[in-house]
Amino acid sequence: MSMTVIAGGIMIAFGALAAGLGNGILFSRYLEGIARQPEARGTLFGQAMIALGLVEALPIISIAFGLLVLFGIIGG
Amino acid sequence: MFLELTPKIKFLGLSFDLTVMIGTLVTAVLVLLICTLATRRREMRPSGMQNFVEMLVEFVQNITNMMLEPKRAEKYLGFAFTTFLFIFIANELGVIVMITANTTGPLPGLGITGNLLKQAHTDSISWFKSPTSDINVTVAMAFAITIYAHIAGLFKSPKGYFRHYFEPYAWMLPLHIIDEVAKPTTHAARLWANIFAGEVLIMILREGTFYLTGIPLMAWIGFSLFVGAIQAYIFTVLAMVYISQKIADNH
Repeated sequence: MSMTVIAGGIMIAFGALAAGLGNGILFSRYLEGIARQPEARGTLFGQAMIALGLVEALPIISIAFGLLVLFGIIGG
Repeated sequence: MFLELTPKIKFLGLSFDLTVMIGTLVTAVLVLLICTLATRRREMRPSGMQNFVEMLVEFVQNITNMMLEPKRAEKYLGFAFTTFLFIFIANELGVIVMITANTTGPLPGLGITGNLLKQAHTDSISWFKSPTSDINVTVAMAFAITIYAHIAGLFKSPKGYFRHYFEPYAWMLPLHIIDEVAKPTTHAARLWANIFAGEVLIMILREGTFYLTGIPLMAWIGFSLFVGAIQAYIFTVLAMVYISQKIADNH
């Protein structure tokens, strides 16, 4: 019981870490882009949202499997 | 324990998840209703429902025009629009409506045996949630799209399809095979994991104290609506990308 809780916690923690790093890089570049070219804000926002969805994918998969481990559905 | 059980019925040796079947049925009916109502009385100057659906069609048209050549984009618009609207409504449905019932004892007719209840430490049965928060649904959709893309590539030019695996060098064959397996897997898992994680967090916040069910729950529901829309868009874009990779002219 306790080991699966630790395993699920580690998976969720690394998922959050990875999502934070990825989104940080993505949005810092997005802000740089609109600082250089303020008129491109509209198109850049759409592209940034697509990239957000792609970047979030692997961390959220890790979090979903972490939740499954945490609640003892798999790997118990 | 927050995860809920789902009722299942056995038919011809296969196990059918009733929650998923109800969810997909409701979503399909809603898609049909929206499209029928919007095209009932068409006018040159659109208003209300027609305006909204025309906006959605143009939005999806931008996706297909971006990913495919103009002469092929027309052909795939219907497929892309259906995919987008189905996943969009399926994602948002589970955020808006969630029906859960508590059971007092085992229900063998619905596949909920006493053993399972003891194992799961829960007595709540989910009757209605997002169909896309079940991995079987998203895997089925992603594999159908992948199989379609492969068959379309084979029919277009069988030689080109097989040569593609040995380009640019023959030893890259294992990399191509890994790529072909990873594409549908991540395509399905991306959609499922986003919706599933969102629903589990809603369940956890719902069970919590007053400080969790107030503003945090509302904020998370708002974010879930946003994530549902983004994921429907990304699923459609990636489906078009995977199809266009197989049927593109230049290789």
